[in-house]
Amino acid sequence: MRSFAKIIRWCLGLVVFVLVLEICARIDDVVTYGAPFWGAYNDEILLQRDNIGKWGRPGARYAKWQLNSLGYRGPELRAGSIRILTMGASETFGLYEAPGEEYPRQLERDLNAWAGKDLFQVVNVAFAGETLPTSILRVPQIVGEIHPSYALIYPDLSSYIWMSIKPFASAVPAQDASRPGPTFESRLSVRVENLLKQVLPTAIQDELFKISMRREIASRHYVILDHLPDDRFEHFRQDLQTLVGVLREHQVEPILVTHATIFSKPLAESDRVSLTHWRKIYPMLKEEGFLDMERRMNDIIRQTATEEHMPLIDADEEMPHGPKYFADFVHFTTYGAGVMASILADGLEPLLAPQVQAANGVTQAGSVAQTGQAGASRPQ
Amino acid sequence: MSSQALLYVIVLPIVWLLLWPLKSVRSRQILLLITSYALYASWGLRFLGLLVCSSLVNYVMGVLLRRKPSVPRLWLGIALNVALLATFKYLPPLAPLLPASPFGSALAKIVLPVGISFWTFQALSYLFDLYREEELDPSLLEFLLYMAFWPTVLSGPICRLSSLLPQFRAPYQPTSQDVRDGLDRICIGLFMTALGQILGAGLHTGQGIDGIFDSARTGFTGPDVWCLAIGYGFELFFNFAGYTHMVIGAARLFGFRLDENFDRPYLSTTPSEFWTRWHMSLSFWIRDYLFLPMVMLRREVWWRSFVLVLSMVVFGLWHKGSILFVLWGLYQGILLVLHRQWQQLRVRNDWQISQGIMGPLSWLVTFCAICLGWVFFRSDSLVQAFSMLGAALNPATYARYTLPGSVFLLVGTLSLGYFATMGGQQLLRKYSDGIRVPLEARFALYAVAVYLGIFHAAQTQAFIYFQF
Repeated sequence: MRSFAKIIRWCLGLVVFVLVLEICARIDDVVTYGAPFWGAYNDEILLQRDNIGKWGRPGARYAKWQLNSLGYRGPELRAGSIRILTMGASETFGLYEAPGEEYPRQLERDLNAWAGKDLFQVVNVAFAGETLPTSILRVPQIVGEIHPSYALIYPDLSSYIWMSIKPFASAVPAQDASRPGPTFESRLSVRVENLLKQVLPTAIQDELFKISMRREIASRHYVILDHLPDDRFEHFRQDLQTLVGVLREHQVEPILVTHATIFSKPLAESDRVSLTHWRKIYPMLKEEGFLDMERRMNDIIRQTATEEHMPLIDADEEMPHGPKYFADFVHFTTYGAGVMASILADGLEPLLAPQVQAANGVTQAGSVAQTGQAGASRPQ
Repeated sequence: MSSQALLYVIVLPIVWLLLWPLKSVRSRQILLLITSYALYASWGLRFLGLLVCSSLVNYVMGVLLRRKPSVPRLWLGIALNVALLATFKYLPPLAPLLPASPFGSALAKIVLPVGISFWTFQALSYLFDLYREEELDPSLLEFLLYMAFWPTVLSGPICRLSSLLPQFRAPYQPTSQDVRDGLDRICIGLFMTALGQILGAGLHTGQGIDGIFDSARTGFTGPDVWCLAIGYGFELFFNFAGYTHMVIGAARLFGFRLDENFDRPYLSTTPSEFWTRWHMSLSFWIRDYLFLPMVMLRREVWWRSFVLVLSMVVFGLWHKGSILFVLWGLYQGILLVLHRQWQQLRVRNDWQISQGIMGPLSWLVTFCAICLGWVFFRSDSLVQAFSMLGAALNPATYARYTLPGSVFLLVGTLSLGYFATMGGQQLLRKYSDGIRVPLEARFALYAVAVYLGIFHAAQTQAFIYFQF
């Protein structure tokens, strides 16, 4: 009887142990991020839904991500500045960089340092999972709110893999913005998961990825593609052209940016791990298919820039590869975001030189024009 | 938390269970040795090879010394160990100073094996003890285990064979009290490590002690320097003492009792007392095997002071072969000499000072002097160290401060919190028999410690003493 009571007390002790860990995690969130103690706390807090799809919730904050009063990541709009939009998905929104170090913020600092004053404001209108079709539908709203002069388009390519799997957000019926989240969501489990990602050896994580991928393929009955079908590329081309057209209709000058990845050319053996991680998210496309998709879609971006007579910044060519610059297959590290920002700044400077000249007078204009020589290549 | 830490968390409970059915002492020692080698190999297989070679060489030297404890044999043993330490620890930093050559580039590629300073000093203490004809008769297996014993091999405490050997030979029967005490110590260690991590990282990005030192900035004011010096003193203490708590606790789970390494050092009222409470295993090693043998060579006062300073310089050099650590040792040695001179002056002149005044004053002077010394220990360069010391000694710089307020708040809160906790603990000891904590509350406290030490500090800095 005594040993039974002892077992019960130990079990109770373990329950207390787990409960206190969960409470600690919640208090940590409250103290560190100002998160609510009760209820779910995840990146969904940043988003709301309307008839187009997901959209930033004004003033929302989750962990290190803070949205402004319009629902965009970054500071509030500054009056009197020349505004440059950065459109794209999670690579542009920023995942791994330190707060304030995502490439749009670093780009703004670079441009203003070059201009010698706070002349430019880079407004980051990207969201994780944003696609070109939803961006097209958002343009009128974005332009109405921000009144930008330029828009950098750094498109997410991999969203086209899902096309045959699920419809795009534009086709999704509008959902209630105040849709309640799950009633209980353990914040401890997220931390355990993150901790395991940090401490498990890469080889084990790699194997776990493969197992989970195989399970997902089997459970969802995905058809495995060696390469993305041609119609997806055509879809991408049309979407890109439409976005360019819509932006121009709204008096915004679009600038295309090719998509950079961690993968070196030719592929290094060390890149295999990142490729496997990528496939974990898109199990329906084989690893070689990703590289083929990147190559072909970047070619489409280049062709579109030529056909539409618009500026192109070839980040795919200019961005160095490797884990120093990318935290995973496509998302930047803080350092990588800095390099990306300087590549974009170099590309933008020739376009922006007239504005800087006008703002700073003729003296600086000469040096500005000189600085801009090696900038964006405007295809003829 | 690192992959290695996860390995320890997985392997040790399994070994703990596997040891129970083993009746023979020898088979238990074999299992402990395999575990120790496997865990050490997780830091690098080449490191393990080096540890095994060093252990074998020292065992042979021990056999020779046991047969005939002679000075040449002892010196040969010392030379071999010092050569090993020099090759891996003191020569590689010299590589950039050498002209470009295959030797220089080979030197630059040498990686410091984890814990080499700790296990080399353990080997040396064994040789010294044999020379002094202590009754030590370890088998090869026992000696290999002593050198590689998993709780101590990475960052100490530097143990003596005389304290571990009887435990290696004793029956394996950890009691429930051992388990409770072990878990308590691990949790205290986790908690302290988390505090060290908070001090190092700061409340806001770039506003921690480490970030400020690493920024290599100069132009500090007096209040800045004191805040950084005290802050780093506590960061180092929480980090290393926290680690030691975890090591002692983990060993205790297996029924082993390791020597303590810290005993509330910041409550010391003299520098001499401080060095009997801080990194005690190294401090006592230096005292027993360097200071005492040397000081007995001559009777003059100057010789005693010289040996004291020399011992502390060796203490500094043990950490790292850099001019900053030499200066740190020199500084500590001079503090000890000054303290001794002050004591003699008091005795000679028969100065009677009330303990009510002398105690707090002496504590304050000791605390400030020790903390100021950490500037040498932590600075990235001589320029930074001297610029900081210059600011601390220049009254004109005390009119303002340049560090963010959050750094002062953090250092102030944690240091005052530490002293308040120590005071509370003493009162509790004085007026009660201790608090009986129910099992459920104990688990709740463990959870808080685990959260702070593991989850909150998920982006942990490494243990500071791993680099030595």
